[in-house]
Amino acid sequence: MSDAQSGPDNTNQLIVEKQAEMEALFTSIGDGAITTDEFGKITRINPKARQILGFSEKEMIGGWFPNKIVAVNDQDKIINMIDRPITKAFLTGKTISEKCIYRTKKGKLVPVNLSVSPILVDSKPLGAIQVFRDITLEEEVDRMKSEFISLASHQLRTPLSSIKTYSHMLIEGYMGDVNKDQQKSLRTIIGATNRMNELISTLLNITRMESGTIRVSLKTINAKTLVDEVIEELNLLANERSIEINNLSGKYQLDVIRTDPLLLKEILINLMTNGIKYTPENGKISLTVKQTTEHITFCVADSGWGIPEDVQNQIFSKFFRAKNIVKRETTGTGLGLYLVKGLVDALEGRIWFKSKPKHGTKFYVEIPNGKNQH
Amino acid sequence: MAKILIVEDDKDLNNAYCIILKSEGHEVVGAFDGKEALAAVESFSPDLILLDLLMPVMGGLEFLQKYDLINKHPEVKVLIFTNMENSPEVTKSYDLGAHRCIIKSWTAPHNLARVIEDTLNNKASSPATTA
Repeated sequence: MSDAQSGPDNTNQLIVEKQAEMEALFTSIGDGAITTDEFGKITRINPKARQILGFSEKEMIGGWFPNKIVAVNDQDKIINMIDRPITKAFLTGKTISEKCIYRTKKGKLVPVNLSVSPILVDSKPLGAIQVFRDITLEEEVDRMKSEFISLASHQLRTPLSSIKTYSHMLIEGYMGDVNKDQQKSLRTIIGATNRMNELISTLLNITRMESGTIRVSLKTINAKTLVDEVIEELNLLANERSIEINNLSGKYQLDVIRTDPLLLKEILINLMTNGIKYTPENGKISLTVKQTTEHITFCVADSGWGIPEDVQNQIFSKFFRAKNIVKRETTGTGLGLYLVKGLVDALEGRIWFKSKPKHGTKFYVEIPNGKNQH
Repeated sequence: MAKILIVEDDKDLNNAYCIILKSEGHEVVGAFDGKEALAAVESFSPDLILLDLLMPVMGGLEFLQKYDLINKHPEVKVLIFTNMENSPEVTKSYDLGAHRCIIKSWTAPHNLARVIEDTLNNKASSPATTA
């Protein structure tokens, strides 16, 4: 290497070239990209980020990131600074990846998937870099998928409801007397429609879960009222099997919680339906709710056949069915508890159980009270 | 016995509920969508409306909004009868004043008749507003 090539002028030129290359790289990123200094002031914003947010470079550079880029929740309420991904990245020194909603200059809400990382040089934070992508289209496709699943569920069940209702009407004598053999055949038809209904529910819920179209939508709710609704819906089903449901949700003092009421209901309906199905006629099921400062715990207890000890570690697996149940009840799919586990995970909760063969099973679902969630 | 309006787009089910409720001694009128139901309530003045949610022309939620159950007809009981269990539509129907929701595919005729009696006699627990 000659002296002329390694002189100060050449070094400066190399630096300028490298800077131009870095600038070109930053500008060419197909997703929105923003950098900040160690105080959170915006130092760079690429064209895609400006296009998504609707601000000019001049409007953004030097502004404080949490002020300039407004993040809101589903109800268009501004998210606290402490809960913003960039704050978490600065505080933890780690990359944070989240879904978020940004409010553009014109006030439009844009859902984005973002990833923000601290820029560390020799472990010292020099700032942060965030890359984000507009996912409006993906959200719309998800919404259409969910709508289709919901509609398909309704359309598949309508003819089944007719079959079941008319079969019941025949058994109950609305169309005149039927003999015992005819009644037996009608009960077979009703049993088959019940199984078909259950299968439709489970498969559609599993499809939603596995395709990622289950969205957690947090609302502030009264847990006692939600339990009352679940039990009211299930009482008719329990009546058909002469099973008594004890609602013990009023036993302990309960505060409001912030969670997704539809997902929580789905969890409780599934556990209670299992209890109804796997408890002999004239049995009992109860639902108890307890709350601590951090969590709320629902306990569904049945007086059913219980789960054999040697298979207890498999019960949340897809298609798993215990042998003692298969002998007595041939209609299950082995998908119910797999679904429940997925939904509990979606609510950032945990599920466990205590079971003794012939003495029944108690399922516990614990989810966060969610007071600090938006 | 009560005056009951059945709003259900499926003709077979509408006919079945008419047979069941007439045999219990109720006076029954059937409508096949929300628009027909709005016309029917003018002349029939029901005590209870058995209302499906997903229907062509006008669905159950739009019917409840236009009927203005909470403000204009607080004495009328509305029983949602749907297969869309645990859906946002059911929650919304409670916000619009519906009293109870029962699931079609879980409900045998004798249970339907019993739930209607309970609702008319105010025996049902009041539903939650999961807002």
